[in-house]
Amino acid sequence: MSMRWYVVRRVLWAVVATYLILSVTWGLLALTPNPAAEQLQFRAAASGGSAEAAREAFEARRGLDRPLWDRYSDYMVNMVTLNWGWSDSRSQPVMEAIAGAIPYTAVYSVPTTILSVLLGLSIGLYSATHQYTRTDYAATFFAFFGYAIPNFWFAIVLLLVFSVQLGWFPVVFDPDVPLVGFAMAHQLVLPVVVLVTGTIAGVMRYSRAEALEYVQAEFVKTAKAKGAGEFRILTRHVLRPAAVPLMTILIGDILGIFLAASYLVEVVFGIPGLGQLSYNAILAQDTALVLGTTLIFTFVAVIGNLIQDIAYTILDPRIDYGDR
Amino acid sequence: MADEPLLSVRNLETKFHTDEGVVRAVDGVSFDVRRGETVCLVGESGSGKTVTGESLTRLVRSPPGEVAGGEIYFDGRDVLDMSDAELRDLRGGRVGHIFQNPQGALNPVYPVGWQIVEAIRLHEEVPKAEARARAVDLLNRVGIPEATRRFDDYPHEFSGGMKQRVAIAMALATNPALLVADEPTTALDVTIQNQILRLLEELQEEFDMSVLLITHDLGVVAEVADRVVVVYAGKVMERGDVFDVFENPSHPYTRALLRCLPGRGGRLDGIDGRLPSATDPPPGCRFHPRCDHAVDACRTGGQPPLYALSDDHDVSCVHYGPDGDPEVVRGDESAGSAVGPGDGGHVGDDAHVGDGGHDPDGESGDGGNEP
Amino acid sequence: MSADEPAETFESVDWDETGSRFSTLSRRDRGAIASLALVAAAFGYDYHLLSADRPTLTWPIRWNVTQLDWLFIVTLLALLFYVAVPLYSNRRLTAHYWAEFRKNSLAVVSLVYLAAVFLVGVVGPIFLSKPQLALAQSHQPPVYTAVNAAVPVNCLGDVASGMCHGTWAHPLGTTSDGKDVLVLVVYGMQVSMKVGLISTLLVVTIGTTVGTVAAYAGGLVDEVLMRYVDVQLVFPAFFLYLLLNYLFGGSLFMFIVIFGLTGWGSMARLVRSEALQRSEEAYITAADSAGAGTLYVIRRHLVPNVSNSVITAATLLIPGFILFEAALSFLSLGDPTVPSWGQVIAAGRSDLGTAWWVSTLPGLFLFTTILAFNFVGDALRDALDPRQET
Repeated sequence: MSMRWYVVRRVLWAVVATYLILSVTWGLLALTPNPAAEQLQFRAAASGGSAEAAREAFEARRGLDRPLWDRYSDYMVNMVTLNWGWSDSRSQPVMEAIAGAIPYTAVYSVPTTILSVLLGLSIGLYSATHQYTRTDYAATFFAFFGYAIPNFWFAIVLLLVFSVQLGWFPVVFDPDVPLVGFAMAHQLVLPVVVLVTGTIAGVMRYSRAEALEYVQAEFVKTAKAKGAGEFRILTRHVLRPAAVPLMTILIGDILGIFLAASYLVEVVFGIPGLGQLSYNAILAQDTALVLGTTLIFTFVAVIGNLIQDIAYTILDPRIDYGDR
Repeated sequence: MADEPLLSVRNLETKFHTDEGVVRAVDGVSFDVRRGETVCLVGESGSGKTVTGESLTRLVRSPPGEVAGGEIYFDGRDVLDMSDAELRDLRGGRVGHIFQNPQGALNPVYPVGWQIVEAIRLHEEVPKAEARARAVDLLNRVGIPEATRRFDDYPHEFSGGMKQRVAIAMALATNPALLVADEPTTALDVTIQNQILRLLEELQEEFDMSVLLITHDLGVVAEVADRVVVVYAGKVMERGDVFDVFENPSHPYTRALLRCLPGRGGRLDGIDGRLPSATDPPPGCRFHPRCDHAVDACRTGGQPPLYALSDDHDVSCVHYGPDGDPEVVRGDESAGSAVGPGDGGHVGDDAHVGDGGHDPDGESGDGGNEP
Repeated sequence: MSADEPAETFESVDWDETGSRFSTLSRRDRGAIASLALVAAAFGYDYHLLSADRPTLTWPIRWNVTQLDWLFIVTLLALLFYVAVPLYSNRRLTAHYWAEFRKNSLAVVSLVYLAAVFLVGVVGPIFLSKPQLALAQSHQPPVYTAVNAAVPVNCLGDVASGMCHGTWAHPLGTTSDGKDVLVLVVYGMQVSMKVGLISTLLVVTIGTTVGTVAAYAGGLVDEVLMRYVDVQLVFPAFFLYLLLNYLFGGSLFMFIVIFGLTGWGSMARLVRSEALQRSEEAYITAADSAGAGTLYVIRRHLVPNVSNSVITAATLLIPGFILFEAALSFLSLGDPTVPSWGQVIAAGRSDLGTAWWVSTLPGLFLFTTILAFNFVGDALRDALDPRQET
């Protein structure tokens, strides 16, 4: 089977997965009472009206009294056409709210990703080539620290020490400063530190483990015997083959950690990105927005998985396209 | 200058620092390789011959390994004094290496052509196109059919024998003066083994290089060697011209090895006992615990010196020393000298020695000899 | 086998009988099932015969056993029968593993710490009454520390030169509503242990079952199960929990059920790939060709042989669940009735500048617990599963 056909199949699979996720989400929504409706009912009952009438009025307004199949197909069409509904709490279309939040998420995600991959890989590779040295142990310990520290708590502690006590960084995030500039970079130092500490650990441990498999490989000895220098051996002959399994881990595991961590970090630091948008939507029981933001995170994961699969085929000449 | 050997190794010592203690994988090995000749380093698995080969250009992983002492003169320069840059020039530039396992020797994620081009361009500043043309020539020369087409194929698309041919092409890419071939045929089928050996012989002639062939297979030695160095447990037991060693094997260990060759009328079940502990070798001659002729003098002191038997034939055995009687060893007629190296043409694949099944990967870089 | 027993040779074993459902159960399984039945009976009694607000036990302590407590009891029983008993009956193997494990002294310290957290968490809440609102004693500093006397409403300890000193009455201080932080921490231990252990038990049970069935059945069954796992794994766990939690409400019980029912994907994958490797091995083929039943082969040959990887993976799952629960509680999306560490951290957040201890101390416990699980998991991998390197 050719590589192109394989890629086509992976893309198709991503589409199917997306479809299934949307359907399951719809099913969950259809099954559960809408919190907003419950609230209306409660209010109606509290003010002496009929809770039942309030519910029916609400359902009629939302089109919930129509047959299931109609509701399902409408939902699907809306999803595909990016008509993701109206956010009650923000009084704007869900898509608009999401579009407005994305820049604030991107502005710290990009540096975090670059930093954790670069630092994680170099420390991991250094650890692998200097196994059982003091630096290796220190790096390992740091990795455990990064894994284990609850990022929301770490964020709080850093805020306490560096913003409240020492006053080095602003306590409150100011969304009005330009997205690219010193003031933005300055107020993003702590969030980026928290996120990098969490994600770097994974990158480090995995790249160390993968590189260890290869630093003792025969072909590395061949490269050395050819006269290749230390750096060339490390980058071309160790990192390149290690990149194949690393790809899977970096996107599969680290992306998950990163998405969850960014959510919490946005809430703690008050960054008005996707995470905070989603969080506020949950607090406001704004179901359309909760759904929209959760799905955005999920699609990022689906696309990440897809990129991982495709990258795998490009990186590993040995892959058997017939598999899966 | 012409008389000076290309490679001269004196009292080479290579150690490995392990949890179990210091392993002296190579413990005072000396030998020469002259220009244009083939020298075979022979010994059973774990005897330190691979480590010797890797020590020549300091390929031994450090830590845990360490080339701890001795001198290695290559073309008149001491390798142990070289800077890292000079070493990189030497490796792949003047000294090519081929390793035992062709399956692992090629990087799986690069096309074979790329790997040969890399070998060329690491040492010579040539345009990519020219390097590519040379790589195709090399692939042709080592017998890869349709070399142009296969240039961009990946290692997993080649058979074991073909991979070893690629590895040879890679080692020869810069026309080295010395080729160190570490068991280049062990991992291959018997039929392929002979093809590869023939190829090496032809190429040696063509490229006018010296070859240090590391092997456990005396059949191979008989076919290709000019001179032989027999090592055991990190020490040289006997060395000399291949005719002298085969016609007049002097060390009990060499004789035992030769007895294991088919058609020699001896036992085919190998030599009794096993290699001594590498962290705690026995005193005296390293071979004495397995030697039929061991006397008290063998059991004390260090390894006996290499006593000269002729111009180019030395043996490290007390029986050839001033107080010894060579007849003690030579009287044992079971190792006949009826078969000379010239007609060792048909040698089975079980010609290796050792007390158990031979494990081609058994001689790893750590020089250990655990069973 | 003792001498007076009739000699049972390989040929005389009735493989049809051995392959039957009942004989896949060992004595240990029967013990586990018997105790499970007891617990179920007690649960039935509590659920149907006693009214919800009547405590299940009045002696020796008053204890109204909740749904979650019942699940926790089942989890502890599973731990007893499938971890403690095998370790005790295979003493030689246990000694070997212990010798390997002991090489990592950090892991030994972690194990001791976790054992302490576990014991205090299980026993503590029985003796300590639930932390009560007591505004009069809000913001007491921890013992041996002092804060500005203006911070607490009234200082229970000594006041010297405008500083309020902590007392042993509240060794870790109190929150803004006067709850004792130490008591909250102890209750939090129980919450964390429940979340970590029960969810992991669910994951291990479902994951192992699905994994082994997929591996052994193969074909369509394997395909369907694994495609389902693919879809489930595409959903990032945290957001799945977030969504389900939003939709189905945040009781701790729901929480654990959601974790357990949706978190087994990678466990199933791991078990399947391990089992596939194992099922190629000679002893499975031998059992198969000897006519042993499917269930018998799965239960007696496949499961025990993947258990090392499962135990290692499970140890590393526990801290993940604890962390998720803490994070969701921190976002006040957790169970508001349960004093979880995440909740206390969130509660102290606004007063960080004045009462630093409210957020930091429970956070420290959360951090060390997760760290300890990671150390233990890492050492377990080295001891049980030497093929894998980290």
